[in-house]
Amino acid sequence: MEKFLLIVREDLKRIGQFTAEERFARSPDMLPWLKTLNDSGQYIMGQPLFVSGKYVTQDEVQSDGPFIEAKEGISGFDLIWAENIEQAVSIAQSCPMVMAGFAVREVRQLVKMD
Amino acid sequence: MRLNSVNEKVERLYKSHFGKMVASLAYAFRNIDLEHVEDIVQESFSRAIVDWRDNGIPLNAPGWLYRVCRNHALNEIKEKSRLTKLAGEHELATATNDFSESILDDQQLKLLFACAHPDLSPKVQVVITLKYVINLKVEAIAKVLAMTIDGVDKMLVRARDKIQRDEIFLSVPSNSGLRPRLSTVHKVIYLVFNEGYKTSHGNDLVREDLCEEALLLTKSLLDCDLFDHETFSLYSLMLFHAARFKSRFNTAGELVDLEHQDRSHWSSDLITLANYYLKQSRSETLSKFHIEACIAHLHCLANSFDETDWVSIRKLYSTLLVDNSNPFVELSYAIACYYSGEKETCFYTLNQLEQQPYMRNYYLLNATLGKLYACENKSDEAITYLEKAFNQTKATLEREFINNSILKIREG
Repeated sequence: MEKFLLIVREDLKRIGQFTAEERFARSPDMLPWLKTLNDSGQYIMGQPLFVSGKYVTQDEVQSDGPFIEAKEGISGFDLIWAENIEQAVSIAQSCPMVMAGFAVREVRQLVKMD
Repeated sequence: MRLNSVNEKVERLYKSHFGKMVASLAYAFRNIDLEHVEDIVQESFSRAIVDWRDNGIPLNAPGWLYRVCRNHALNEIKEKSRLTKLAGEHELATATNDFSESILDDQQLKLLFACAHPDLSPKVQVVITLKYVINLKVEAIAKVLAMTIDGVDKMLVRARDKIQRDEIFLSVPSNSGLRPRLSTVHKVIYLVFNEGYKTSHGNDLVREDLCEEALLLTKSLLDCDLFDHETFSLYSLMLFHAARFKSRFNTAGELVDLEHQDRSHWSSDLITLANYYLKQSRSETLSKFHIEACIAHLHCLANSFDETDWVSIRKLYSTLLVDNSNPFVELSYAIACYYSGEKETCFYTLNQLEQQPYMRNYYLLNATLGKLYACENKSDEAITYLEKAFNQTKATLEREFINNSILKIREG
């Protein structure tokens, strides 16, 4: 089993208009999906992110950064176990947010550092 | 012929043969796409209803269905070859030979392993297992998995593409190739059991038939020498849960929690069987199923809720957290903490979980907080959490249960 990060990408400008509560009320119910992953022992953790953050480079700290209004900005992530990239992709495809066309998912495998 | 008996017969055959027929037809006629194969099989069942009503149920009813499917498929191919002039008689001959009922006897297990294909997500594995191995219709799958019919359809369309493209049903691994898939098969079976055992939307909280299917599938693994220690622990775990089926509801059909269940209704036969398989499962590696089976064992061992060995249960959950750390396990851990006297750790863990947006909307977290605050005589907090939980579940029985809890607290 390998670890994969399933990054949620969605229109940050759009969700930035909502309060946190409105934002999650509009999102599809994620629990059944997480529950399945939990029961198969594959769910590790996940969390939505605030829309705004800081952008840090060598020279400066920008308050918002260039991604604040991105069409496919990062809005959350889930960390899971999967057999291979195909299965991780398949899991991402069955995510309610993806199935509802609400967000897209970027699937990235974690490099083992031992 | 009475309409009812024909319908019942067709319904039964559908349950036992739909997946097998689809798989074998897809195998025999590789150039017909899977969705179309399903249509052909579906169509043969509709035809059976009409034909059998007039002419009676044939002696070899499955054979009749297979014949109708085969002829239908052959006609399609002939039709196609007339159009394209590509397919030769040779292909027809092989197809006819490959598709017969006799070679399919062990098809259910083969299909189960095919559905456990490592490139499919756990959810998709469950959906296609329910569809092709357990032969549920799309509406039933949607209901059981609390998905929309549209969602199940979308998932099936994608899965069909994948099944077709990678010949998933056709390339079931040989005996030695089956072993590596065993652990995935376990997970799929466990998920099917869970879906049967836990909530589905609407009224029927426990889909006992799904739990039975999961038990039967595991039993067939044991019977055909295709098992390891994990199979035993999985079987044991499910048997422990199954032993408590009857006591989860009172005579009025209301949900009863573990604390108030009538333990004399727990099936001692199933518990004995579960204990036996738990012993068999002993091995050096400890799987998630082992630990969960041990926890279920401790629950079944106790004469009453208060006599339960909560300290050991708490330890087992913390072991489970080492490799399977996630918020759902943490919730169970917190409950075990409470009853083993570590209340501070319990509420700390629960309040941490509350910080997570997903979990905040999880009715079991709020129901737990409600229940434990009630135990602490903090009525206001208890009611606030229970009301949250009430709005977060759609299952009628669970809503009733939560509502009753609120009423009891209000009455003091």
